[in-house]
Amino acid sequence: MAIFNLKKREIECKVVYYGPGRCGKTTNLEYIFGAYKKQVKGEMVSINTEGDRTLFFDFLPLGLGQIRGCNVRVQLYTVPGQVKYSSTRKLVLRGVDGIVFVADSLEVRREKNMLSLKDLQGNLKEYGKSIFQVPLIMQYNKRDLAEQGIPLMPIEQMERDLNRQLKVPSFGASAVKGVGVGVTLKECLKATLKSLQREFKWAQ
Amino acid sequence: MDIKQRLKALLQEAEIYRTQGLVTEAHAKYKDAADLINSIANLKNKESLLGAIANKISGLESSREKTEKTAGAPELSSRAQDLIKNLFVFSENRGEDGAVLEGAVALAKFGQFDRAIVELKELLQKEAVRVEAAKNILRCHLSAASSEEAVNQYHQWMGGDLFPPDQLETVRAYLEEILQQRGVTADLPSPLMPAAAGETQSEDSIHEVEAEAETEELMDVTSIGITFDAGPRKGRSVEFDVNFQSGNTLSLIISKQESELIESLSTGMKLKDVQFFSPIAIFNGSGVVTSKTQIKSGPKHGDYCLDIRIVSS
Repeated sequence: MAIFNLKKREIECKVVYYGPGRCGKTTNLEYIFGAYKKQVKGEMVSINTEGDRTLFFDFLPLGLGQIRGCNVRVQLYTVPGQVKYSSTRKLVLRGVDGIVFVADSLEVRREKNMLSLKDLQGNLKEYGKSIFQVPLIMQYNKRDLAEQGIPLMPIEQMERDLNRQLKVPSFGASAVKGVGVGVTLKECLKATLKSLQREFKWAQ
Repeated sequence: MDIKQRLKALLQEAEIYRTQGLVTEAHAKYKDAADLINSIANLKNKESLLGAIANKISGLESSREKTEKTAGAPELSSRAQDLIKNLFVFSENRGEDGAVLEGAVALAKFGQFDRAIVELKELLQKEAVRVEAAKNILRCHLSAASSEEAVNQYHQWMGGDLFPPDQLETVRAYLEEILQQRGVTADLPSPLMPAAAGETQSEDSIHEVEAEAETEELMDVTSIGITFDAGPRKGRSVEFDVNFQSGNTLSLIISKQESELIESLSTGMKLKDVQFFSPIAIFNGSGVVTSKTQIKSGPKHGDYCLDIRIVSS
């Protein structure tokens, strides 16, 4: 849940990058950390295990400056994607204000994407939130691998699999090359702040 | 696509999956490549190709083993632990004992048991959160070490004078229930006088019959509504906020001003009609008052801390 300090005109919100294991959530944050130096307000913290898999979470604080007279700070998190870290994922998701769902474009990861989205829906439900109401952006990552002849799912198929009902904004991306990372984040922040604005009405 | 190109494509695919950490997918592609090689009758360097693929597969296996072996939570740096405490405390007033407890519990949830125990032990000095701190210390021992460690800890508390008997009895009952769920039998003497212990025993027997719900699976309960079946509030429902939840035990704080309510709730009392409110659902059930303790210090001095165990829902 965002923290809104009326006196100081400060708002702090939480955006979580969710998705199956090895889909590129940490790579998204790493790119943001390197590319948006002006907005980055501290070190990126990653807690990894063997093989660079995220064990607990990654954390990156951003400052967006003044938006409609309010100083906006954002905390970016990733969750561990592996199925076995279910309780950690749930804990990291607590108090979330906006979500980027990073889906893996590899054909072989089709089912993992769907299972992860279902897991997200279940975890949000446990916190009394609906996946249809929370600000959510879809990112179809690893599009660059098509150049190497690796079988990828067409965007249309990913839309059908993951976004048919949600109908949220979606972007193709290559986090490793930085393509689509910024636009995904910006769209998510826009949706998140719009939702917080409706809740706190800070700009009125 | 001719066979040579198909083989090349399979190996490239397998290699990319390997570099992406997709061990299962890489394994499957290497196997497809090996099957393809085997299907070619007069391939010159068949053996060396199969040998190279076997090496790749064995590399994948050892990488999978390494990942599985390190599945437990490593001890993090104190900076990372501080960050966890900072990021995963959701109470508004961070200076309060409840928030400090929340931070220590967050450390435990991330597997940082040693530091969690140190911080929880400090909280044992605080009347309002002593019982919850003790329960979480036991949980840490049970997760990090063994049941024996938790039982030893209980005996140590039993031999000391930190806990009033009613608080220690709550802790004892809590540990006993977890041990029972794990099928462990341990000698956990009650700190209460025999008669009082007998009363608690009968209360425990209710749990044995009715407490089927998995403690871990229980959803977060934010408030409860108790409908009194006796006393001045008979037939009326009173709603209480839940200040803390540990498994199926809910802790509420009742203001000293509510003397009538406090008197009508006694340890061991069975509450037959309780509504449990969670962020996603409301469910009806029953509960038992497992402890009622007056807070002797701090900002809530004089108020009462009530533990209610959900026995059916």
